[in-house]
Amino acid sequence: MKKLAYLALLLLISFTLAACNREDTGDRTVIEFWHVSPVGSDSYSGMRRIIRDFNESQDDYFVRGTGINFWDYWDKINIAIASNTAPDIGYHTLDNVIFRAGNNALYNISDLIREDIENGVDTIDVSVFSENQLEFATYDDDLYALPFSATVRMMFYNLDLFAEAGLTEDDVPTTWSELYEVAKQLDDVSGNTINVLGFDPSFGEGTYHQYLWTAGLDFFDEDLNPTLNTDRHLEILEWMYDFNKEYPRSVLDAFGEANQMLGINPFAAGRVAMMVANDGLYETLRPLEGQLNYGVAPIPVPDEDGVRVNWGSGFSIEMYNKNNPERREATWAFLKYLMDHDKQIELSDTLGWLMSNIPAMEEYAEGNPILEAFVNELEYAVDKVYVPYAPNWHAVDWVQFFEQGQSSALTPEQVLQQARNLYIQKRENYEAAN
Amino acid sequence: MQMSEIKKEDKMPILSLKQKRRIKNGVIHLVLISLSFIFMFPFIWMLFTALKTPAELLAGIGTLLPNDPQWSNFRVAVTTVPFFLYLRNSLIIVFFAVVGTLFSATLSAYAFAKLTWPGRDTLFVIMLATMMIPGQVILIPSYILYNQIGWLGTRLPLTVPYFFGGGAAFYIFLLRQFYKGIPRELGESAIVDGAGHFKIFIYIMLPLTKPALLTVSLLTFMFVWNDYFGPLIYLSNPDHWTLALGLRGFQTQFTGRYDLMMAAAILVMLPTLILFFAAQKYFIEGITFTGIKG
Amino acid sequence: MAKRKKLTLSALKKQERVLGFVFASPWLLGLIIFGAFPILASLYLSFTRYQMVGLPTWIGLANYRSLLFNDSIFWTSLWNTFYHVFLSVPLGLFVGICLALLLNSRIRGISIYRTLFYLPNVVSIVAMSFLWLWLFQPHFGLINQVLRPVYDFFNMEPLGWYRDSSLSKMTIILMGLWTAGGSMIIYLAQMQDIPRDYYEASEIDGANSFQQIIKITLPLMTPSIFFNFIMGIIAGFQVFAVAYIMTQGGPGRSTYYYGYYLFDKMINDNNMGQASAMAWILLIITLIITLLALKLNKYVFYLGEQD
Repeated sequence: MKKLAYLALLLLISFTLAACNREDTGDRTVIEFWHVSPVGSDSYSGMRRIIRDFNESQDDYFVRGTGINFWDYWDKINIAIASNTAPDIGYHTLDNVIFRAGNNALYNISDLIREDIENGVDTIDVSVFSENQLEFATYDDDLYALPFSATVRMMFYNLDLFAEAGLTEDDVPTTWSELYEVAKQLDDVSGNTINVLGFDPSFGEGTYHQYLWTAGLDFFDEDLNPTLNTDRHLEILEWMYDFNKEYPRSVLDAFGEANQMLGINPFAAGRVAMMVANDGLYETLRPLEGQLNYGVAPIPVPDEDGVRVNWGSGFSIEMYNKNNPERREATWAFLKYLMDHDKQIELSDTLGWLMSNIPAMEEYAEGNPILEAFVNELEYAVDKVYVPYAPNWHAVDWVQFFEQGQSSALTPEQVLQQARNLYIQKRENYEAAN
Repeated sequence: MQMSEIKKEDKMPILSLKQKRRIKNGVIHLVLISLSFIFMFPFIWMLFTALKTPAELLAGIGTLLPNDPQWSNFRVAVTTVPFFLYLRNSLIIVFFAVVGTLFSATLSAYAFAKLTWPGRDTLFVIMLATMMIPGQVILIPSYILYNQIGWLGTRLPLTVPYFFGGGAAFYIFLLRQFYKGIPRELGESAIVDGAGHFKIFIYIMLPLTKPALLTVSLLTFMFVWNDYFGPLIYLSNPDHWTLALGLRGFQTQFTGRYDLMMAAAILVMLPTLILFFAAQKYFIEGITFTGIKG
Repeated sequence: MAKRKKLTLSALKKQERVLGFVFASPWLLGLIIFGAFPILASLYLSFTRYQMVGLPTWIGLANYRSLLFNDSIFWTSLWNTFYHVFLSVPLGLFVGICLALLLNSRIRGISIYRTLFYLPNVVSIVAMSFLWLWLFQPHFGLINQVLRPVYDFFNMEPLGWYRDSSLSKMTIILMGLWTAGGSMIIYLAQMQDIPRDYYEASEIDGANSFQQIIKITLPLMTPSIFFNFIMGIIAGFQVFAVAYIMTQGGPGRSTYYYGYYLFDKMINDNNMGQASAMAWILLIITLIITLLALKLNKYVFYLGEQD
């Protein structure tokens, strides 16, 4: 009993001791910045340096950075936004900026730019960002966020496997019929086991909406009514399902499971010769440099009327509305610092992301053919539309149906029909609540 | 069949009582050993994964044994984050949570088990009902509440509620079941002797239900120790982070280092394991009421 | 003498009415201070459109109407959840009790065994799920490898486990049994409270171990069995994490549980209003079933309430 009381006392003392040991910030305006580079992560020291450099570069503002690991960041910031305790500045997803802007959670960036111009101060040049990304940051004709990172999807191809099949970089397909032809030459199957698969449209980040776009179609029309009901929609879905139909489902399943068991990206493992993926795979492959020869190319398009386009997502950087002019000013200064040409390069190097500042990325990518290709593809990147009644239309809502089609539990017609019905139902319920 | 045959020959036992017990124990051992493989497997798998090199992991998790055990993975997990700072933070929160739960759950359980008061049964059902609401939907209102009273960014939301039965409905119900099992005569005779309910509670109930209290402490410890979500949303200063939260950083966006992830997970679970091992012997030494007739 | 005792008892009864509140006050105060606002707020939100940004707007019963009358997934997820509860609760009770009986032996090394059987409860659910995926894989998983002779004997296709929509719920239930050691420690704690002289008396009467279990151990374990039964129901209706990590609700929404749908409503659709409505519908369902289950209380043998 005595021991226990002693222990309690000890803990209490350490409790109080730990209460206050943060930096002395004097009378500077202190702002909070939440990022995804926590202690222990590879990007931690780089991010800390970037913040420290800002704090040392001037005497008016002080940025306090908090790194939260990527998976948990979203829970933390969404709960904080919901209860008006968001940081002054942080990342979010670019494709739903209008949702937060429409609910008055964000500062108007266009206002800040206009104020700078009136006062004759250097401001952010928005022409460095891609048009499409800016569109997603725009609400009511004004910017409410800035694009921060720019994710691009491309087709990775394994040159070692190409060489084994007697192919060269000149054979990299650009259309669907070329894709099919090349893929079949790359297939390596012994008996009931697939050793190497040339290509599968659903592997990696190959998504139905991505392929629809390349054919000039989409899930929704301009008024956000679900489409999915044309013959062409069906054709493209069948193209995805039937690409490797010469192999029985169980053989393909076994191949997929083997990939899962490896716990590694099938492209990195040399088990898939061509695969659609984003620039994250480039980061994954970096440790394998020299062991794996590969290149990236635009995603092949349908033979007729194909559109060069890729699903480009990205993070936004947002200033959360705190109704505090001093902190608004400080946050704006920090945002301008982050969006600066050289800082964008430094950030790209630290985070391993492609940043939104295109000229900066062009400079960063110079001499690296893979990165150069990604940067070139930025202008063809289009983010997915924000559908208020089904914000996750491309993931949770769609994937269940798509997978049932893959396992033949549903016919392709049923997949499209049922998905469309779900969107319609969601829209009815959304409208009933408005 | 065998049993009855042995019984028949009771007069001239082939097997002595000692031998019989030995055979019985042997069978139990056999069953336990084979079963424990099944239950041990997850841990062994974690350990082996934690000891692999990244190259081995790339080669596939199909092989179980690591070729070249990387004990350094544990060192990496300990040194890349302020491990001991996080450990201390975890201990602080766990300590108050366990003390708080024991305090509020035992008292309240006594009220539900041994006292008759108006509204008791209704409140008991309300208590059960509080567990039936999925936690997600009360998360934001709770967060707003703690923000209003200025507790955000401190350890208070993670400790104080335990003294007020926060999350204790489970334990109150559990202890109620145990208290109801304590023979009534024990309490009644004490009351006749002039002892109040507080005395009965402290001198009879608590000592007689040590295994249950231990269970409650252990379960609270485990829950709070492994909870990363509360610290994630309520703490703002990384210097207050707990182990469970701090070590989640090993799952970053691009580098899914399973080896480090498992090493970190083992480090998080080890204290719980040691605690359990130390505590379980009290289960067998539990109190026996000799001399009391039911 | 007798008169004085009677008076004291009635005075004590009166005293008890107050003391009940005093003893329950930590929890009662907590309910009022920390619990009432969030709980009532979620009830209020269930009648609003609230997207977790901005302010909620009152829309009456619209959320409930949408869920009950125009939402096919709602009913799928509810059915999946009922399936899970009705199978996992009895199975979990059975395995937990068996383990506890086995581990209540006084044999050498019992502490090691107990720790080993408890291990899966300590392992993080993420690590556990990775392992399960690996073990249950239809083509390469260890479990199907081990069962291969059985499949060959019956000349049947290997089971698809979590990849087969007719087996996926059952697979998750089986995996849940791995953590049955969690209820085991509650049973063990209860078993220590059983007076030893009961066993001694029955041994003199010539009862064997099996009879002792049936006649003494099991009846006296009913309070903790009852506890695990009720808690199993409450927790079972909120099943979610395992499906989230392992099957993402699939295949074909076969493991898309009610809690999962609620989570998606909140996180992916930003529809806190409907998520709250779902929570309150679940509360009502669970409450009704729990109240029915509480009727079983009369079969529970509380040693302290026997005369």
